[in-house]
Amino acid sequence: MTQHLIPILFSMFTVSVFSQTNDGFTSLFNGKDLTDWTMLPGKAPAFKVVDGVVETRPRNGSDLFTVGRFGNFIFRFEYLLSKVGNSGVLIRCDPDNPWGTGVEVQLLAPWTPYRDDLHCTGSVYGHVAVTNRPDETTGIWHQMEIKCDRKRITVSVDGKLTTVADAGTVAGLKEKHLAGAIGFQSNHSKEGEFARFRNIKIRNLDAEPEYVKAGFYDDDAQVRTLACAAAVALGTPMIDPLARMMDEDNVMARRGAKQALFDIVAKATAPQTPPADKKAVARSLKTSMKAKPSEITAVYLKWLLAMIQSAER
Amino acid sequence: MNQKIGRRSFLKAAGTGLAGFPFLAHSMARVAPSDRIRVAHIGTGSRGNVHIKWFSDFPDVDTVALCDVDSVRLANSVKLLASIKPAAKPDTYSDFRRILDRKDIDVITCATPDHWHALVAIMAFEAGKDVYGEKPLSFSLREGQLMEKALLRHHAVFQLGTQIHAGENYHRVAELIQSGVLGKIHTVRLWKNAGTRGLGFPPNAAPPATLDWNMWLGPAPYAEYTPVRCHGSFRSFFDYSGGVFADFWCHIADVMFMSLHPAGLSTIDARGEAPDDGIADTPKWIDVDFKFKDLNVYWTTTPPQVPGADKMSIGAHFEGEKGTLTCDYEHRTIRIGKETVTDLTEVPATLPRSPGHQRNFLDAVKSRGLPESNLAYVRKMTIPMHLALISFRLKRKLLWDAEKEQVVGDPAANFLLSRSNRKPFDC
Repeated sequence: MTQHLIPILFSMFTVSVFSQTNDGFTSLFNGKDLTDWTMLPGKAPAFKVVDGVVETRPRNGSDLFTVGRFGNFIFRFEYLLSKVGNSGVLIRCDPDNPWGTGVEVQLLAPWTPYRDDLHCTGSVYGHVAVTNRPDETTGIWHQMEIKCDRKRITVSVDGKLTTVADAGTVAGLKEKHLAGAIGFQSNHSKEGEFARFRNIKIRNLDAEPEYVKAGFYDDDAQVRTLACAAAVALGTPMIDPLARMMDEDNVMARRGAKQALFDIVAKATAPQTPPADKKAVARSLKTSMKAKPSEITAVYLKWLLAMIQSAER
Repeated sequence: MNQKIGRRSFLKAAGTGLAGFPFLAHSMARVAPSDRIRVAHIGTGSRGNVHIKWFSDFPDVDTVALCDVDSVRLANSVKLLASIKPAAKPDTYSDFRRILDRKDIDVITCATPDHWHALVAIMAFEAGKDVYGEKPLSFSLREGQLMEKALLRHHAVFQLGTQIHAGENYHRVAELIQSGVLGKIHTVRLWKNAGTRGLGFPPNAAPPATLDWNMWLGPAPYAEYTPVRCHGSFRSFFDYSGGVFADFWCHIADVMFMSLHPAGLSTIDARGEAPDDGIADTPKWIDVDFKFKDLNVYWTTTPPQVPGADKMSIGAHFEGEKGTLTCDYEHRTIRIGKETVTDLTEVPATLPRSPGHQRNFLDAVKSRGLPESNLAYVRKMTIPMHLALISFRLKRKLLWDAEKEQVVGDPAANFLLSRSNRKPFDC
């Protein structure tokens, strides 16, 4: 496991919520400005909001990244490319080294020379080809969905699956980060070309306790570490599911649950944690203790409760 | 919940015959210089067997009793002793309290798992015994404080089993550092290039009939048995120890404490990760920055970027205003300007050499003097180790009040300075 993964995950879920719809998606674009997005200094800004959509027109300017960090998610947006527009979506990347840490899902007009399935729209650029080439018509809006589900990355365009990538087996993907920013690549076609984006939204799977819980049972140690970090970021809502996990037969899940519970409580005991958050953790531990855990789990929960109570005084 | 091992309740358990731990505290007639020393060994695993060999070799030692909660290990240690000293006819015990009951035993050595160290030592002091105890000193920082109090109250002799301390190299390093030839030392880098392994995800099992698992766990939280939790790899678990870091800290920090006696520890900032491939939870790697008065100390799990460090699996590197000294248990390299040497003849040998770590202890038992790795010294040396592990677990920097021995402004960190012992090992 790379050492930098954990701090990245602890800073997850920093994105502010414009509107969360019933399907669990949160808008990442308010239709007015680039709140919650950032462009790195040093290059000319390549993105701006024009008539309610995000547009990249200047050539080879700064790419646009989410302020928030995401590990497992479903990212949906609509895009429109000019006649020879060329952009892309960077996922799970560190904005300081986007292609070194993450991968790019290509967005490309089918201009001459014709690009192959490994480099066309929907491909995980240079790593995984499309198996089902999407409609590449320029000048009209298309919908793309990128799903990062632990080590499985899938891309769909206009509702049809185009690409399936396994980050656990594809050589070039194994060393990539499993969490990071999401970015749009600046237009790097010729001058005057552009790409536009709208209806940008995300469903953060790491904010969903059931999804996070399932990660504790994964055979892949990196996935389990990510699940643990996501559980710690979620905090209180994970305490009861984790306390129950400690009494299951699955040794791996028990171990992960024990660690995550400690980490949740430890984080809550930090001097700067608001008293209300400490109280919520203590309350949740008490609730779990009432649910008739095994003696071993009860002793552990009692110890964690004493730790958070020491910090409440 | 009582978060501290209250001294009173702890000692009550040890001294007044409450359920589970009955025996009488009493003062003993101490060993006279001409006398033979009657030794018992508690914990006869691989380390305990080394104790048996060491101590049985002294002409003034009688090995009179052996104790282990694992009858297989106990039987093996009896065979071992018979093979090296056929005349010895040790009594055997599964419960160390029966050894403490015996008035004819002067010294115990303790090679139990770490979570038993303090309890065994304090109860032995109460029973009028002197103790040669394995490292690390104690499971928790608070236990170390209680050990020192009990030692003073009962005028006992304690030596921590940091046998490298006795060697020529550490004495010579201390002389070289203290001579000032390297100028004022501002930085020390310590390392051990290994960490805890995950141990996989083995299922729980019934403990073997030959092992008293409940007694093995003793003051630690009850846990289901699985072989890797027990003999040989127990240090991989925070319930019993602090991993490879806790295993090796005192050995290499020792040369720094011998040479510089660092004081005024004020901040401890640890980073690291637990293994992700097994039930072990102590550090796979841990790096720690310590700030003492006028001294920065850095612990790393990989060797520091200094000449020669990559060839040493464990080491200490002293950085002074005029030069550096890099050492491990047996070797040292001094660098001053462009010169690289292993010794400087102009620095006289001023420190008395040890007659050997165990002999030094036995001499102190007879003289009632302070042995070289005495409790006050080793407790100071062990405090940074405890705090580093707390910083690792809480994932934050700690501010330390070295006078009051308390973490400043972080009650949860103070909570982790101690652990409530499991009944009936707490009372």
